[in-house]
Amino acid sequence: MEASLFAKFYNYFLLVVKYVSCNFKSHMEYRGAFLSQVIAMFLNNSVWVIFWVIFFNRFPVLRGWEIKDVITLWAIAASGFGIADTICGNGLEIPRLITRGQLDIWMLYPRKLLPHMLLGRMDATACGDALFGYVVYIGFVHPDILHFIMFVALTLAVALVFIGFDILSGSLGFFIGNSEALTLELRFAMITFSTYPLNLFDGAVKIILYTLIPAGFVSYLPIQALRNLSLTDAFLTLLGGIGVILVGSTIFHLGLKRYESGNLLEMRN
Amino acid sequence: MHNVVHLDNLNKVFKLKTGSFFKRSEREIQAVSNISLDIPKGQSIAFIGPNGAGKSTTIKMLTGILHPSSGQASVLGLTPWKQRDKLAYKIGVVFGQRSQLWYHLPPGDTFELLAQIYNLKKNDYQKRRDMLIERFGLSSFLDIPVRRLSLGQRMRAEVAASLLHAPEIVFLDEPTIGLDVIARQELRDLIRQWNQEEGLTVFLTSHDAGDIENVARRVIVINHGQIVLDDKVSQMRRQYLASKVLAVKFHEPPLSPAISGISILKSSQYTLKLEVDTNIIPIEQVVNEVLKLGPVADITIENPPLEKVIAHIYAQGNKLAPDRNDNET
Repeated sequence: MEASLFAKFYNYFLLVVKYVSCNFKSHMEYRGAFLSQVIAMFLNNSVWVIFWVIFFNRFPVLRGWEIKDVITLWAIAASGFGIADTICGNGLEIPRLITRGQLDIWMLYPRKLLPHMLLGRMDATACGDALFGYVVYIGFVHPDILHFIMFVALTLAVALVFIGFDILSGSLGFFIGNSEALTLELRFAMITFSTYPLNLFDGAVKIILYTLIPAGFVSYLPIQALRNLSLTDAFLTLLGGIGVILVGSTIFHLGLKRYESGNLLEMRN
Repeated sequence: MHNVVHLDNLNKVFKLKTGSFFKRSEREIQAVSNISLDIPKGQSIAFIGPNGAGKSTTIKMLTGILHPSSGQASVLGLTPWKQRDKLAYKIGVVFGQRSQLWYHLPPGDTFELLAQIYNLKKNDYQKRRDMLIERFGLSSFLDIPVRRLSLGQRMRAEVAASLLHAPEIVFLDEPTIGLDVIARQELRDLIRQWNQEEGLTVFLTSHDAGDIENVARRVIVINHGQIVLDDKVSQMRRQYLASKVLAVKFHEPPLSPAISGISILKSSQYTLKLEVDTNIIPIEQVVNEVLKLGPVADITIENPPLEKVIAHIYAQGNKLAPDRNDNET
């Protein structure tokens, strides 16, 4: 039984590798566009980091947070988000796929619909995010090997949080029809709250940031895990990621029963 | 004979909400209504009907994309909407309006990905791929990105991709849409050959009478979600429309025909083309009357074009259900 489960995971891992390779090849057909998007996202993130550097030069400590913590936060959030949408780029497209009946094509394959559909697209700008996080963390924080291993593990756990939130917010399309605008707003909120220290917020907002907009699993627990090399906080981050994925998947599958397909002319790209 | 498809009173109702922001009303649209049919292994059927008849909805239920509102369906012994993953290994699907090929990649790359998706063993995959490349004539454009292929080349690659995992039945939803005459004929020949030589069951929808004549042996006409005709293609043409086309060449200019039950389609100095309503007058009697019009050089009796037969069937269906809606889902 365990061997079979392992074989299944290995099989899906090979599929992930194949999809990433196909998506990358597809982007390489337009190298210039791909590189410019990666660089643009890198620069965009850099502007925020520069802002925080200037801020902490004037106010060295903000509710116990120092410049290193905020840089680490940005690095983890950017890489986590980047990894999520590099591998599972269709997470961003879920409302459009639902509204236009484009889930059809994914339902014809002998694979679990949700993970398979998520793999189907790579977001070029997300590659820039993923790269940015690692470059900034290594360049600014100069981690030792243990911290770096912890950082890699945390970016993967945070990627799960973002994938889960993409599924969760995208699945609203099943229930309210055209949810593209609402989903986009929710994602902006998630990204915004993920890039500010959680210590800035109190009370009800904090509760929201561990539930409705689960940015707390990005902007607090991973930082604590890295500060103290705390396996407990790292584990809680992972648990948060798995939890958000489970909630998102449940809502997706509940919504799928309402799916009514469509008849739009389409090409995959 | 073993049935690969069995439908028993299949129904699909869509709920449609309309109205203003404050006052919404809901109405039901019956897309498929009590469809029952069996398709034996190796048969090629054309499943046709006007826009909004329920063809695509039926295909989507047979492939597990949509759940029916009621009724039973079995495809290769599996319930499509409950066992979609298992069924996907055994069926191939081509949507003429939706591609499974990657637009920016060559077809060869999509084939590699499909081999991974379907868990094909390397040797089996390579053998199958090479055979499909040869049979579908793909070698000259296998390495060219799909966006640079002609529509005909793309559709050949599309159908080949759907056969890569050796399905037992293939659903083709308007596969020749937008193709030119030659590409259309090439694709029809390939599908027919695959059906006849490999025993592949073919379930085809199309608005093109040529597809139906060249690919299918059996035709099922659906209108307003109901089956209105289920017959052999040859029988449909012979029986369903009681008319014949009579083309006559004369040695001398003929007399003007005055025969009840005929209409003149075309007339020149030495030729006449007549449409005969065999409900009013038997064809033998018309031939006898025509022979009296002048010395006949040649005479041919033809069935009416299939398009006309189909249009006639659709028109009859519309008379039966005048409150049809145009919803095609």
